[in-house]
Amino acid sequence: MLARIAYAFRETWASFRRNLTLTAAAVLTSAVSLLLVGTTFLVQRGFDNLLVRWKGDVQLIVFMAPDATPENVAYVDGVIKSQPNVVDIDKLAYLDKPASYAEAQQLFAGDPTMLSLLTPETIPTQFKIVSLTDDSALLRSLADQYRILPKVQGITLAEDEFEVISTLSGFVRTVTIVMSLVLLVVAVTLIWNTIRTAMFARRREIEVMKLVGATNWFIRIPFMLEGLLHGLIGGVLSCAGLWGLNRAWQGGVAGFKPGTGVSSLVVPSGYVSGVMILLLAIGALAGAIGSGIAASRFLDV
Amino acid sequence: MIRLDNVTKVYGAETVAVRDVSFDIAKGDFMFLVGPSGSGKSTLLRLMSRQERPERGDVWIAGKNVNEMPDSRVPYLRRSMGNVFQDYKLLSNKTVFENIAFALEVIGKPRHVINQQVPAVLELVGLAGKEDRFPDQLSGGEQQRVSIARAFVNRPLILLADEPTGNLDPATGEGIMQLLEAINRSGTTVVMATHDHRIVNLMRKRVVQLDRGVLVRDQERGVYE
Repeated sequence: MLARIAYAFRETWASFRRNLTLTAAAVLTSAVSLLLVGTTFLVQRGFDNLLVRWKGDVQLIVFMAPDATPENVAYVDGVIKSQPNVVDIDKLAYLDKPASYAEAQQLFAGDPTMLSLLTPETIPTQFKIVSLTDDSALLRSLADQYRILPKVQGITLAEDEFEVISTLSGFVRTVTIVMSLVLLVVAVTLIWNTIRTAMFARRREIEVMKLVGATNWFIRIPFMLEGLLHGLIGGVLSCAGLWGLNRAWQGGVAGFKPGTGVSSLVVPSGYVSGVMILLLAIGALAGAIGSGIAASRFLDV
Repeated sequence: MIRLDNVTKVYGAETVAVRDVSFDIAKGDFMFLVGPSGSGKSTLLRLMSRQERPERGDVWIAGKNVNEMPDSRVPYLRRSMGNVFQDYKLLSNKTVFENIAFALEVIGKPRHVINQQVPAVLELVGLAGKEDRFPDQLSGGEQQRVSIARAFVNRPLILLADEPTGNLDPATGEGIMQLLEAINRSGTTVVMATHDHRIVNLMRKRVVQLDRGVLVRDQERGVYE
């Protein structure tokens, strides 16, 4: 068994050295495509942060002053619910202080100044309103009605800050997903072609191996291992790239004035690590698939 | 040991390589397959090692029908037979020792077995002391000896040789035949395809003659004609 494992690694390494230019091309293509996949995830997460308060088609947010009493909150709740033909009562949500604080943690992830000002006690609570109408004028008149209620601190309308970002997010999502898919296919094809070339270079050896009774798996495994390594090394490079990119982005965002909203685009480092692990897994899988197909396809001697 | 029952092999739509061929080879036999180029000799050898499958008929090796054998069993069938070719099929980037060791390595033999069996087989084929040479540093006859050593190192039941003397001068060819005869005397069944009249007439072994894929003669202690 040990002899077989040693053999597989020795052959993989030898083939790696023999096909250096093709190997480099396959590895770099995997790295670039995986980096794009990773960037897609980070950009999406940034937009999600920005849009978190508008999740679930929320169109209007009523902020209650931090010192509002339960009676004040109940009163506003009653006013909102008194218009069931305009407001979707089933989807009406009230975020109390802990819930609002948790949301702020995500929203202001990249804005430590803002976060330090907020505490679970001083944070405004909020009503999230889903409207049954898309009529902008009606929504604005609704907002004007709520604004004058006691202890209402402010009103924010989705269309004021949400729609541009939402459209931009959709566009960026589509472009990056399509590009990363195309590049992933290119990477798999390049790995496939590299393995095919490696097998062609060693066709005489493979022929002898088959004639002396080597099993197909014995012949295949070093090639599959080689493809898997192409993907994995590409994955490692893309992780390094993603890490650098994220660092540069965080540095750039820190330069913006607090409270501009750009800070929401900063992604927590735990999420970045998760994306990196995913990239390594996708890389290894793409490599194994590309080389697996090649190794099965060209083994008939 | 080897039995062919009404075997027919067709290439493409209508090129009949072998037509309705039947014969038996007993354990320990030495048999020549003779006939002009294109008569189907190599095809028969390829059918025996399951590199090809017949359109009709059955090929039996050591009691097993190789046509019905699942692909996963074919490597194990091939471990019971050695193959020798006219062009040697040696790996030019490996030394003599490594070429032979390779055959054991790929079937998972441990290193200590390889270190013991390779020198022994090199001694048998008369190449002791040349284990570190590369194939292109050897004569044609020596290269063929390496090829035979590789085929025999695993002590197979059967040795299939396809024109093993085809590229060699008569004297060297005779040396190779002596080696194959010695291997045969150790109990290995040998099937050799050739159109070398001189060697067939010299050896006086069983001769099966093919003509355009049809078996036209099966003779004990035969000559080429």
